[in-house]
Amino acid sequence: MRKPDGKIVLLGDMNVGKTSLLQRYMERRFPDTVSTVGGAFYLKQWRSYNISIWDTAGREQFHGLGSMYCRGAAAVILTYDVNHLQSLVELEERFLGLTDTANADCLFAIVGNKVDLREEGAAESQEEDGHSPGMASGGCASLKVSKQVRPEDAVALYKKILKYKMLDEKDAPAAEQMCFETSAKTGHNVDLLFETLFEMVVPMILRQRSQGPAQTVDITSYKPPGRTKAGCCA
Amino acid sequence: MHPREECKGIQDQPADMMSTKAFSLVSAVERELLMGDKERVNIECVECCGRNLYVGTSDCFVYHFLLEENTLPAGTATFTATKQLHRHLGFKKPVNELRAASALNRLLVLCDNCITLVNMMSLEPVPSGARIKGATAFALNENPVSGDPFCVEVCIISVKRRTIQVFMVYEDRVQIVREVSTPEQPLAVAVDGHFLCLALTTQYIILNYSTGVAQDLFPYCSEEKRPIVKRIGRQEFLLAGPGGLGMFATVAGISQRAPVHWSENVVGAAICFPYVIALDDEFITVHSMLDQQQKQTLPFKEGHILQDFEGRVIVATSKGVYILVPLPLEKQIQDLLASRRVEEALILAKGARRNIPKEKFQVMYRRILQQAGFIQFAQLQFLEAKELFRSGQLDVRELISLYPFLLPTSSSFTRSHPPLHEYADLNQLTQGDQEKMAKCKRFLMSYLNEVRSTEVANGYKEDIDTALLKLYAEADHDSLLDLLVTENFCLLTDSAAWLEKHKKYFALGLLYHSNNQDAAAVQLWVNIVNGEIHDSTRSDLYEYVVDFLTHSLDRELVWQYAGWALQKSEEVGVQVFTKRPLNEQQKSSFNPDDVITCLKKYPKALVKYLEHLVVDRSLQKEEYHTRLALLYLDEVLRQGPSTGGRGAEVTETQAKLRQLLQKSDLYRVHFLMDRIQGAGLPMESAILHGKLEEHEEALRILVHELRDFSAAEDYCLWRSEGRAPPYRQRLFHTLLAIYLGPGPSAPELTVAAVDLLNHHATEFDAAQVLQLLPGTWSVQLLCPFLTGAMRDSVHTRRTAQVAVGLAKSENLIYKYDKMKLKGSSVRLSDKKLCQMCQNPFCEPVFVRYPNGGLVHTHCAASRQTNPSSPSPGART
Ligand SMILES: Nc1nc2c(ncn2[C@@H]2O[C@H](COP(=O)(O)OP(=O)(O)OP(=O)(O)O)[C@@H](O)[C@H]2O)c(=O)[nH]1
Ligand SMILES: [Mg+2]
Repeated sequence: MRKPDGKIVLLGDMNVGKTSLLQRYMERRFPDTVSTVGGAFYLKQWRSYNISIWDTAGREQFHGLGSMYCRGAAAVILTYDVNHLQSLVELEERFLGLTDTANADCLFAIVGNKVDLREEGAAESQEEDGHSPGMASGGCASLKVSKQVRPEDAVALYKKILKYKMLDEKDAPAAEQMCFETSAKTGHNVDLLFETLFEMVVPMILRQRSQGPAQTVDITSYKPPGRTKAGCCA
Repeated sequence: MHPREECKGIQDQPADMMSTKAFSLVSAVERELLMGDKERVNIECVECCGRNLYVGTSDCFVYHFLLEENTLPAGTATFTATKQLHRHLGFKKPVNELRAASALNRLLVLCDNCITLVNMMSLEPVPSGARIKGATAFALNENPVSGDPFCVEVCIISVKRRTIQVFMVYEDRVQIVREVSTPEQPLAVAVDGHFLCLALTTQYIILNYSTGVAQDLFPYCSEEKRPIVKRIGRQEFLLAGPGGLGMFATVAGISQRAPVHWSENVVGAAICFPYVIALDDEFITVHSMLDQQQKQTLPFKEGHILQDFEGRVIVATSKGVYILVPLPLEKQIQDLLASRRVEEALILAKGARRNIPKEKFQVMYRRILQQAGFIQFAQLQFLEAKELFRSGQLDVRELISLYPFLLPTSSSFTRSHPPLHEYADLNQLTQGDQEKMAKCKRFLMSYLNEVRSTEVANGYKEDIDTALLKLYAEADHDSLLDLLVTENFCLLTDSAAWLEKHKKYFALGLLYHSNNQDAAAVQLWVNIVNGEIHDSTRSDLYEYVVDFLTHSLDRELVWQYAGWALQKSEEVGVQVFTKRPLNEQQKSSFNPDDVITCLKKYPKALVKYLEHLVVDRSLQKEEYHTRLALLYLDEVLRQGPSTGGRGAEVTETQAKLRQLLQKSDLYRVHFLMDRIQGAGLPMESAILHGKLEEHEEALRILVHELRDFSAAEDYCLWRSEGRAPPYRQRLFHTLLAIYLGPGPSAPELTVAAVDLLNHHATEFDAAQVLQLLPGTWSVQLLCPFLTGAMRDSVHTRRTAQVAVGLAKSENLIYKYDKMKLKGSSVRLSDKKLCQMCQNPFCEPVFVRYPNGGLVHTHCAASRQTNPSSPSPGART
């Protein structure tokens, strides 16, 4: 297994499109997805670096895993659905706390996904479920009026995050640079999002390397139990 | 929150489609061997160490078996267990856990919260009675921190609340080395180096017992489900997570592998690289750590123990012990390939890299890549196939051999054994589907074209190029010609037969040519041009052949086909002689006289050839020049005499003739003159007269016969080219004389004379001209001439004056210099005598000659009359 040089983690409520964004970027397509179980990751080679990108599960059930996934992260992508204000609220209330384990200089990107649905309005929000419009529609009725998210809301959240991290706005990347609106469906801004982050993460990797031994332990070489002598077989 | 259907099957694919056979389940210990028919007795725990299998039961017995592995002819392994011993431990409690410490020859037995050390063979407790009390569970450190080989590190969950203790266990004593308290009650423990991985009541943590630093992993509700903590390798653990996840975590508290998804009620987990095996109450499931996919499901009811021991995976129900026998990796990979699951096969193969010696791995992996390539190929996934063939360093002939008849008959190739794929040939692979077949052929074309110039082709360039030629020919592909006109290794016999079959005669010619059989090539092409065989590849094949001969170094061949080429077209055919590359000409491989002989029958060609000799190559041989002139002349005469008058259209040949007559100095003038006589070609005869310096006659013809005055002027200029001015003047005067000459004075000639004078004033000696002119001409008429002449003469005079002046002053300068050099004072004394009269000087007056001689003035005066004497120098 190649050892990743840096880690980027996607966080956000279920159904906002984390998996779709990653698939769009990595596989250049927009397939049907199923709600993620546990988590998954991709290795992306960027220049000479291996960057692992973790897709986490938004479902409440797996919420507890978030902290571990974020441990040592160089960047966190906080994802919401631009058609559901609640998904943005959740970022602050549920997900921000998970990032405490990330690197001290961790970057934050705020990503509003599904912009392709925005024109169609909230009334059609049920459509984007894609799966079963009839299912559990009782709980859905109130959600149909859920408000659209404006870009300012994302910027405001970004500033709150800086406060939460006790960072000076001057020292952190500008909000305009770190707030994205994307569509995994059309591919809008998806490359921009990931590649902007890669570009910013690479210098962090270099900085970390120059600061001596990594904080993480190398566990790249799996040894079947029982073989205690090292170095006999490459 | 947005309602969304809970996912079914989640990321796992339907089991049957995805199943790999990674393990087979075989029985190891039958229940009869253990407890006979004692219904109430259950298996509580197992341990396996080498060939030793230990089983602990609910009625406080420990059994020791020896395991023997037998491989059946079919390749599957079976096990027989032979009971060695069983011992009751003397409690009324079940045996909770067993662990062997083979270095110490000890078995650690947890029973009734106490870990006893017993001899591995006799199962007798150590005489010292050493034991660890107050343990509810324990784990051995497989990555021990002390380097002592006769000591194992044991970590226990103490009966004391929230306490973990670390012991060193020796052959017959135990020693506590550390006690740490935990934030919550620990329920399960695994250890690696200084790191404890603990399942606490509500979460998993990593705890460094040496520093006390703890790291939260993730929350987990132990009340709902039994936690699992399993060390899977250096510094990495596998944990049961929420939602039936198998989570991976390192001692640093991070996850470096994506989780696997088990069922909700997994009770045990084991590792057998690259698989994670899990046990629930109905199934054993196998997931790959490489891609997290579920690979195999084995129905297994009422299992409650699943553990791996040095790579051996054991499952047990309360009544029997079974072994999960892994299938050899290669077999698994082959199975995957057989079901066309290329990607998984490759992942598995790559994952095995570390477990197989490098050389062996490379051979195996390459072969798998090739096989995978053929699978992709059969599915017409050409891009993928190509990449796999490339990385698997496929012998291209394996691929070519799929296509019937493509490999040359002489090829020594045989397919690798065992075969890389199941297909006899392309027909079978495509099941006769023509469209697919065409696609496959197109792929092979592009593939071969790509590899033919790379190292992949080394050693089989012939096979590749021949196959490529066949494909191109069959598909009527343009690249056939490109292939043949560049360096190629097409085998002659095979390719020739194929091209003939596909009626690619032109290409066949190219093939002959590239095999140094130009004669065969040309013969073939000539046949096409003659219409004897049909091939429309080139509509300009005749020109092509001519060009080919032109550049051919084979003189025989050129001679052989020159006649044919000339018969087709004299003008084009002659190019085989006229357009030959220069460097070859210099070697003068063709003797012009031979060529001329050959061209006798082809007058047009001959003209072209002579032109080539005379004009292009500037051969200075009288014969060629005369001959060319004669041929021109014949042609001109044949065309009928042109009026030749002023402004008359001159034919091309006539223009060439004149050009030649004027430019060349080599032809036989008299000979031509004779031929031209009376032919009505005044201009030409004027030129010829000119060549003979018979200017008057020439000019006469021009003026009187042709009345072409500008031609007459041009003549003067032409003939005086490169001669001294007087010669030119003479010519102009001759012309003027003709204009003004006796005979009926035509006004035309007068005008011509005036124009001549006015235009070429400087070419005349004005004084002479004036005497010639009739007195009746007005000054006005000759104004330009006169002014010109005047100006000229004034100019000449002034120039002469200036020259004289300059010469004088120059002379003076020289004189001055000379005087300076010679002048010195002269001393007169009695001894000095006049050089003339030899008498002394009586007065201080004398004459000095430039040579320094002194004489009396009167002597000098008398000498003056003598012209031979030097002129007197300056007097002093
Ligand atoms: N129209 C539209 N639909 C999208 C877009 N991105 C995702 N979806 C759809 O939204 C649904 C959820 O997408 P996922 O990518 O599975 O969401 P997720 O964030 O990974 O969800 P969890 O794995 O449950 O956390 C799917 O039906 C997607 O097809 C988008 O940009 N536009
Ligand atoms: Mg997802």
